[in-house]
Amino acid sequence: MNKEQTIAELKNIVKPYIANQEAFDTLTEDTDFINDLKINSANLVDVILDIEEKYDIIIDNEAMERMINVKAALEIIETKLSEKM
Amino acid sequence: MIGNDIVDLDLASKESNWKRKGFLKKIFTINEQKLIASTEFPDVMVWNLWSRKEAAYKIYNRETGIRGFFPSQLECVYQNAILGSVLIKGRCYFTQSTIKNNTIYTIAVANKEHFRRIKSINPSIEILKKNGIPFIIDSNSMLEKPISITHHGKYWKGIQLID
Repeated sequence: MNKEQTIAELKNIVKPYIANQEAFDTLTEDTDFINDLKINSANLVDVILDIEEKYDIIIDNEAMERMINVKAALEIIETKLSEKM
Repeated sequence: MIGNDIVDLDLASKESNWKRKGFLKKIFTINEQKLIASTEFPDVMVWNLWSRKEAAYKIYNRETGIRGFFPSQLECVYQNAILGSVLIKGRCYFTQSTIKNNTIYTIAVANKEHFRRIKSINPSIEILKKNGIPFIIDSNSMLEKPISITHHGKYWKGIQLID
């Protein structure tokens, strides 16, 4: 998995839900979905469902619990994709 | 400990499509899903339960320092449209919800007696934050007082616990 590419894909996924354009433009692995991007927590469910659809993976409750920043999202995508192989 | 959460129902209907496949399952327990399926006004039930979970999460987050996204673990015990409680990992928080003017507003407390000691705070007061948790400086005692704030769309609510 190419990290830069996944970050770019993730940016596309979160884009419709963000309320802080500046944090979005300067997004890094440390960017927090709620505190930085100001994604409404109900929309975090949409982000999770969009990730599931895009990568054809299932994000279980345990993974979802950690899904609050870019870094965790990348790790979860990577782990779930490798489990699929 | 207190927590509050407001949902602007008009905005929620634009921002979120709870009928989307998989959406309810990620947020609600089986019992909560049954409650939503059996009511005449599922939109109101979805956001009523959601606002209870959010308000209760704010207390849980403060008590434990745990931050995360685990809405289905915050289990609503639905007494009626106004009253209920939220259970999580052996903890129990009490909730009071108000549905009016197209908003649902929930206040959660760790101790039932505290409902009587909730006071609204003036939106113009300076709000400070420590580890993401808001507080104000009481003008009489100069002590830090924890508060809970919530906003959605054009609505804002802030509360504190008075002595």
